[in-house]
Amino acid sequence: MASAPALFGVVVFTFLLMRVLPGDPAVFFASGPNAGEAEIQAIRVQMGLDKPIPEQLVRYLWDIGHGRLGRSMGTGQPVTVDLANRLPASLELTFTALLLALCCALPLGIGAALAPNSLLDHGVRLLCTLGVCVPTFVSGLLFIYAFYYLAGVAPDPTGRIDIFASQPPTLTGFLLVDAALAGDWEAWHSAASQLVLPACTMALFVLAPLARMTRASMLAVLTSDFVRTGDALGLSRRRVVLVYALRNALLPVITIMGIVFSTMLGANVLVEKVFSWPGVASYALDALLASDYAPVQGFVLLMALIFVAVNLLVDLLYGLADPRVSVA
Amino acid sequence: MNATLRHAAWVLRGNPVTLAAGLGVLALALVALLGPSLVAYDPIASNVPQALQPPSAAHWFGTDQLGRDVFSRVVVATRLDLAIAASAVTLSFAVGAVGGAFCGYAGGRLDRWVGRFVDVLMAFPLFVLAMALVAALGNRVENIIYATAIINLPFYVRFARAEVNVRRNQGWVEAARCAGNSHASVVLRFLLPNVLPAMAVQVSLNLGWAILNAAGLSFLGLGVRPPTPEWGILVAEGARFITTGKWWLVVCPGGALMFAVLCFNLLGDGLRDILDPRLRT
Amino acid sequence: MDFRRRDMMAGGIALASSGLLGRPAAAQSRAETLRQVTGNSVNTLDPTMPGSTREAFGISVNIYDRLVSFGRKQGSNGGWVFDPDIIKGELAEKVDTSADGMTFTFHLKRDAKFHDGTPVTAEDVKWSLDRHVAARSLAAVQVQTGGWTKPEQFTIIDPHTVQAKVDKPDRLALPNLCTLYCIIFNSKQAKSHATAQDPWAQEWLKTNTAGSGAYTVEVFKPGEQVILRRNDAWKGGPLPYFRRVICQTIPEAATRASLIEKGDADLSIDLQASDVPTLAQRGRVKLVSTPQFNAFTMVAFNTQMAPFNNVKLRQAVAAALPYQDIFKAALFERGAPLFGASWRGSPTNGKFPQPLPLATNLERARALMAEAGHPNGLDTTFSFNVGSAATSEPLAALVKESLGRIGIRVEIQKLPDAQISTLVTEKKLPFLTETSIAWLPSTDYFFRNFFTGAQRWNYSSWNNAEINALCEKARYELNAAEYERLCKRMIAVLAEEVPVIMLWQPNQDAVMPLGVDGYTYQYHRQVDYRDLKRA
Repeated sequence: MASAPALFGVVVFTFLLMRVLPGDPAVFFASGPNAGEAEIQAIRVQMGLDKPIPEQLVRYLWDIGHGRLGRSMGTGQPVTVDLANRLPASLELTFTALLLALCCALPLGIGAALAPNSLLDHGVRLLCTLGVCVPTFVSGLLFIYAFYYLAGVAPDPTGRIDIFASQPPTLTGFLLVDAALAGDWEAWHSAASQLVLPACTMALFVLAPLARMTRASMLAVLTSDFVRTGDALGLSRRRVVLVYALRNALLPVITIMGIVFSTMLGANVLVEKVFSWPGVASYALDALLASDYAPVQGFVLLMALIFVAVNLLVDLLYGLADPRVSVA
Repeated sequence: MNATLRHAAWVLRGNPVTLAAGLGVLALALVALLGPSLVAYDPIASNVPQALQPPSAAHWFGTDQLGRDVFSRVVVATRLDLAIAASAVTLSFAVGAVGGAFCGYAGGRLDRWVGRFVDVLMAFPLFVLAMALVAALGNRVENIIYATAIINLPFYVRFARAEVNVRRNQGWVEAARCAGNSHASVVLRFLLPNVLPAMAVQVSLNLGWAILNAAGLSFLGLGVRPPTPEWGILVAEGARFITTGKWWLVVCPGGALMFAVLCFNLLGDGLRDILDPRLRT
Repeated sequence: MDFRRRDMMAGGIALASSGLLGRPAAAQSRAETLRQVTGNSVNTLDPTMPGSTREAFGISVNIYDRLVSFGRKQGSNGGWVFDPDIIKGELAEKVDTSADGMTFTFHLKRDAKFHDGTPVTAEDVKWSLDRHVAARSLAAVQVQTGGWTKPEQFTIIDPHTVQAKVDKPDRLALPNLCTLYCIIFNSKQAKSHATAQDPWAQEWLKTNTAGSGAYTVEVFKPGEQVILRRNDAWKGGPLPYFRRVICQTIPEAATRASLIEKGDADLSIDLQASDVPTLAQRGRVKLVSTPQFNAFTMVAFNTQMAPFNNVKLRQAVAAALPYQDIFKAALFERGAPLFGASWRGSPTNGKFPQPLPLATNLERARALMAEAGHPNGLDTTFSFNVGSAATSEPLAALVKESLGRIGIRVEIQKLPDAQISTLVTEKKLPFLTETSIAWLPSTDYFFRNFFTGAQRWNYSSWNNAEINALCEKARYELNAAEYERLCKRMIAVLAEEVPVIMLWQPNQDAVMPLGVDGYTYQYHRQVDYRDLKRA
């Protein structure tokens, strides 16, 4: 509940920002030959843009209160339907990328922390930093060029599943889950292989903060008393590091994971564009360029909600990992 | 001061990567300063008969669609890119540090309101916010700087607030107040200098982010106006030619961009070592 | 949400049968499937919806029938192009035109059926045509250019005959009924989804179809893909070759090029001009290049606003542009130039667009600058659309550079689609570049749309009394020789006054695997899947 004012602020701020955009959506969508003032006015009325801005805002807030986010002029669908259809795509990609990044970042970070200032440490640092240096649209396009065009090992980078494969029945919207539930392993395989390149592109970009945080907190934990005690008791190094130290070192990693996840969801605009991924971010981008207000507003609200939810989840996870913290 | 330098020298010796990054940043700054005088061609003069030539002795990085020399464009772009990144980060740093410090010091209602405002910004999908800002204000250099500054702002405000909050009731702050300093003077002369070094690390990292951010905007057509050379635009334009094998158009400016971001990030890491040897992350 | 259910069923069936049929069946269906990749998205199934994309136009051509449509002919480069002079029946078996050219009688095909199996009747035709003139849609503004403005013009003679009447003989009356807006709906089905606020079922028809066309919609995901299935009961013409058509949105042009070259996709008509020559050279794909003879790229001045209300200044700019360089750098010479004609005064024929006597002459440009009263130059902005950056950005850079030589300091503005449409409609931009198209390629139609009136398409806001009069006259002029004379005069005035500088007609480069045949360049610049086959 503490986040309610922030959510309200996000809604109002986005609303006003969209109104400041110099494009007039009514003019843009009345793009036929000879489209005159009458047609433009008709669209304006249809979009509710003929009313004064304060009234539009009140109406908009009223609609949000009733679960309506308006209609996208670009797709002709209600924004809630579009978002519901596209959110699983974005989430699936982001989860996969995050998982991939964690799988690399944890071992790398631990390795670096075990031998600080060694060649391995510097190597890890350089490698992770290199990942952050390439704009995602460049790495994405280069991946496509190398793995699809030249090597031919990746499937065509055009969405979530091979266009000729049959789509598993929609239950959760997550293709991997749906396909597994339906027992359709061919579709599962197709969806998984479509995920690889975009997920790698994104993972590369978030590897650095995760690995760095793992290394830092691991370093701090490794010098703490209980680890020394464990070593002194003659426990195997492996057990000390992986069981006792890691659990404690994970706390800050969880915090940063929450932040990374939220940023990834909002920031994968470029990845979604490059890989024709039917997610929410590319949807918002198209709408933004067309000055199509409703989808952008809906998208930002959705992202803010997810941001709040993820923060809550991080707090809960924190409680699990650290019994001393109780979630107030 | 001397001790700090000695410490820095000691860290650098054990950390060649940081040293290299520092030298890289220095080189970039030099190129940015000298920029136009280093190149043989006018970066915006077209020469259509020479369009799309691969790298050669005359054109080290080849030529683009209009026959412009890519090397000249990449070199000249350094100044603009560094300027965008530096101004954006300076702006958010200045506003964020001072504002955040005052809020953290004052506490109370103002602090809560600012805290809420920062939460609002944090809850935004930041890249989309930057896009919307540039689209709304128009794609001029100053608007790209503002947009980048705004999306970096929450981190600085939060950081400064938290750090000042921890210190404001400590003995030495109390002492400064008792010595007759005004509240403003306590914040600006005593608290801020205490907090700044830790924030400086963030600055270096953010410089890299700012460059990438500008590049992303360029890719979506919301970058600096043509024909001004800027790395992001050069890369985004070059990316169009990937399939047809004109690699130099994306690899050369992309390399420059990567080099700059890499240097800033590694330097940021290194700075952290120098400023806070215990918490190297 | 109808498509969702069908989607699931298709999935279920494929699952059940995949074990039985195995691979050969799948391979077979791949050969009979056409996969088009396109940069933009299909946003509606009703092409008359305000805001429809061009891709949506293309889809609608295939799922709906019109009474009549244009035929095709072999173009100058050997490929097929549409022919506005041949009008053939689609739902109509025969069209009778009265001697005065004002009454058209359409005799419907008796065996034509809608997708739901009900026959196409005169009542459906009347309802649909009424909708096109009466509902608020893109159709109304289009068909008025052919003299169609009110429902009373359409009458039912008998269940299979409809009569349509114009008040004045109009050259474009029948061609307008061929355009893709004039589709025939299944009126019973549409009416059952109409409401009091929405008497023409516009809301429902955005995501549902009620047509009789060659294809039915299997999957429609706006912004992602449309999958069409052949309607085997189609009576509008010979049954198309492809059983299934996938039209998929792939925003990255480079990716589209790779997909075609790897043989994973079968058609793209919107690759970048820079990629096309390389693809053609590598020889793994087939390239059908057609100069878009009903389209043109121009540089337009705002003739109602200082400084470009000054004709000398416009002439100075026209003399300063390096046409050949722009053509090469921006378009890679993939199109037909509209500059560099050798005639002076009056053109040799009345066709339009045709090359105008534009040439680079810096001396003359500088002299004109002085005559225009700007010896010290001036400042202005030059705008283009982000979406067209691949071509417009190099163009803009060369415009800026060349005008700098005669003292005009240009600032380049690159604007998102919505912003530039707004500014163009409000007539606020002084100087811009655009590519535009006229569906009905006749000279008076071009002039009426692009050089007269207050609508957005009059990019230069040109208001020339002589042109206005000539246009009005030519529209109703049925005598060919007199029409030609009027057209030549209009072109001569245009060349003299330079409200816009015509640059070129870009090629439409359709790229496909070697086996795909029959591609036809259509007036709507989209793909008519009915023309295509795999050899």
